[in-house]
Amino acid sequence: MSTESEGVKSGASDGLVDSSATEQVLSDVVPGARRGFAAGRSKNVDIYSLWPIAVMVLIIIATSFKSSRFLSVYNFENILSQASPLGIVTMGQCILLISGGLDLSVGYNIAFSSIITGLLLEHNASLWLAVLAGIAAATLVGFVNGVLAAQGRAHPFIITLGMSIFLFGLDTQLTGGAPVNNMKGLYSAFGGYLPSGLPFFGLPAVVLPFLVVVLFTYAFLRWAPLGRRAYAIGGNEQAAYLSGIPVKLSKIYLYTLMGLMVGITGMVLSGQINEASFNLAQNFELQSIACAVIGGTALFGGRGGAFRSLQGVALWGLVQNSILFLGFTSNYQQMALGVIIILAVMVTRVQR
Amino acid sequence: MAVVVTGSPLSASPPGLLHAEHVSKHFPGVQALRDIDFTVDRGEVHALVGQNGAGKSTLVKCISGVHPPDGGRITFDGREVTTYSPKHAYDLGIAVVHQRPQLLPWLSVTENVMLGQLPAHRGLVIDRRKANELTRDLLARLRLDIDPKMPVAYLSAPERQQVAIAKALYRQAKLLILDEPTAALDAQRSEHLFSLVEGLVREGMGVLYVSHHLEEIFRFANRVTVLRDGQLVATQPISELSQEQVVTLMAGHRITQASIGESAATTAEASPALEFSHIGTGVLHDVDFVVRQGEVVGVAGLIGAGGHDIAKLLFGLDRPTAGRVALRGKTYDPRGPKQAIRRGVFMIPEDPTRDGLVPVLSVAQNVTLVSLKAITRRGVLSLRREREVANHFVGELSITTSSVRTAVRNLSGGNQQKVLLAKALNSKAEVLVLEEPTQGVDVHAKAEIHRIVRDLAGRGKAVMVVSTDIRDLLQFVDRIVALRAGRVVTDVPARTTSYAQILDLTVGSVAVQGS
Repeated sequence: MSTESEGVKSGASDGLVDSSATEQVLSDVVPGARRGFAAGRSKNVDIYSLWPIAVMVLIIIATSFKSSRFLSVYNFENILSQASPLGIVTMGQCILLISGGLDLSVGYNIAFSSIITGLLLEHNASLWLAVLAGIAAATLVGFVNGVLAAQGRAHPFIITLGMSIFLFGLDTQLTGGAPVNNMKGLYSAFGGYLPSGLPFFGLPAVVLPFLVVVLFTYAFLRWAPLGRRAYAIGGNEQAAYLSGIPVKLSKIYLYTLMGLMVGITGMVLSGQINEASFNLAQNFELQSIACAVIGGTALFGGRGGAFRSLQGVALWGLVQNSILFLGFTSNYQQMALGVIIILAVMVTRVQR
Repeated sequence: MAVVVTGSPLSASPPGLLHAEHVSKHFPGVQALRDIDFTVDRGEVHALVGQNGAGKSTLVKCISGVHPPDGGRITFDGREVTTYSPKHAYDLGIAVVHQRPQLLPWLSVTENVMLGQLPAHRGLVIDRRKANELTRDLLARLRLDIDPKMPVAYLSAPERQQVAIAKALYRQAKLLILDEPTAALDAQRSEHLFSLVEGLVREGMGVLYVSHHLEEIFRFANRVTVLRDGQLVATQPISELSQEQVVTLMAGHRITQASIGESAATTAEASPALEFSHIGTGVLHDVDFVVRQGEVVGVAGLIGAGGHDIAKLLFGLDRPTAGRVALRGKTYDPRGPKQAIRRGVFMIPEDPTRDGLVPVLSVAQNVTLVSLKAITRRGVLSLRREREVANHFVGELSITTSSVRTAVRNLSGGNQQKVLLAKALNSKAEVLVLEEPTQGVDVHAKAEIHRIVRDLAGRGKAVMVVSTDIRDLLQFVDRIVALRAGRVVTDVPARTTSYAQILDLTVGSVAVQGS
């Protein structure tokens, strides 16, 4: 890494060749490394950040040798439908992590939004009203998280952990522990498949909202002023403040946005499995953090991007699926995922 | 061991406690110490003075075992020091009390004082009662009223310092090195510290007293050693010197008293951008001065003298308790950086990587951070506009970087400083406040920063540079406002003053005006 003053002068080279020149060459050789995968980032991206793709290719090759059914359209649709709801939250988690925050309440907040919608549907409310209320409920929770986190009196870890425990109680209270088993219109929307042929090829319906959220997140982090502020706050909160950035307000917006994405996940997930319950999205908080981190999002802010986190989600889904095809039990899934998380963090450390 | 000295400690000077002979220390690129010879006696307060970078801390570090000297030898208490480590120095009886002592905040006073040497029943279980009693006795001896069971975190800064002294006493230190001990203390607390030290000296302890404040040194030191550029220029009994002579020794040339009374009226033509009238905060007292458009004003002073506090006021990080600041004639009282920037004021903080820049973001992203609105079209950032803005400033300030996409952390210190200047320009600020802009940058970058600042003033901006580096300030400012202990001690055109004069005023051999 070039740290000293003898970088090549902008415009005309002053004849010094140093490591920053090498860096330049590297990023020219790997065009994707230069632009694509890091919204709002500079050219620190290098080929190492593509390691999840390499690992995925290896897994696909290895697993397809073991089982012929692995490499089938049906199986990949399966992976996509399993990974999509988690993927949506991961995008929100990615934005928060970039800003130096995080949200541990997403699991029970997803459940909360689904329960609000489910209960309203049970009482014959209109689909639109129920969905709106469910998303609004989750967004409100995000807003409260944001207001509390912006005060800076306690770490977001504690605030959102407290919120998570609170919501667990609220969720079980609202449902009496029993799930709502008929999501009506939501099930019709997300329980099935998209029309076959162009442009959706009959993919699982949940893929569509996931895709929209990924594109939104990419654009948000790259082109939205608030996205840029997230990078600045996570990269150096004091410097952001001294640059005149409204740090508190930005945090409130970002947590609220997370709440909105949680609400969308609540609708998608409960519609997909036609059920709203307190344990609808257990462990989503940790899984989403894990996916974002596997994709190279820094746990303490400033770095990361939508497509990188997408790689994390894809690797996560693929490992869960392929372990079964490789003939291991689901217990091994957890072991493998655990190893991957640790390796991912260590790889990003080495990169710096 | 205690040689009780009454009356004049010097006349009864016993054999020396610490001898440094031909001590040298070299760091890459710097000869930090050159052939230092000096002695600290039992029962004496030996003051060590010198400008920043003169070698005081290096000498202290050699004596306390942090850096082994490369040449010469140190003898302590009759034995030559052969092993250099802080622990070994401590075992010999050399204790350093820093400005902010390194204590363990959540352990009690007793535990800190006796750390590693707590009395225990049969070497197993700590005997708390005995430990607390011992500590209480020790504190009583120092006439300190601190509860030994109190966690150190709850103590004030002066109390922590006293705990560190108690710790030194418990380890039976024979030489106490006090490094800028009064920096965090008010007058009354300083007095208390002096009498405490005097008591220890009467019991035979040797004290090496490192300070910028000459008044204190003349108040109670026996001898003074002056360092300049790594060399020892004098060791003399304090009674044989005047404060003025000490300053001359520190600066290396004579003070020219001629122009000190001259007023700042020479630059009075331009209209004032900033006016401070009778400003008071916890640190500042009755601060009164003006910064005009197109003018570079240097605010000089020691750390803690108030320069940083003035900068904080201007950027809305603190608010005055008395007085008024006016910006182009209108009252200026920002509630935070955002308001300050909106009013056209920008501050470049002292530590750019800690407070000023987002190291992982690119040059372009850092430069535009201060005015995202300017590159936003219909709620969307224009990355093309961002690159244009950044390229413009990279060219204008000749920032050396391979591209505007390079992460700022990959730039050198001088170029990071320039990125901050670019930010300041991009904020369209009319008033710039720079804190220690040339700290830690090389000579070449320094000259460029000087040039850029002059250029900004040439374009009608008002620039205020807060710095402890007087020599540096004199090279590029129009006027110098010198601060001491929160008060303005002089306000003169730079060309009518000298380094020695300003140094003299900031370290305080001349009485503070109006106090």
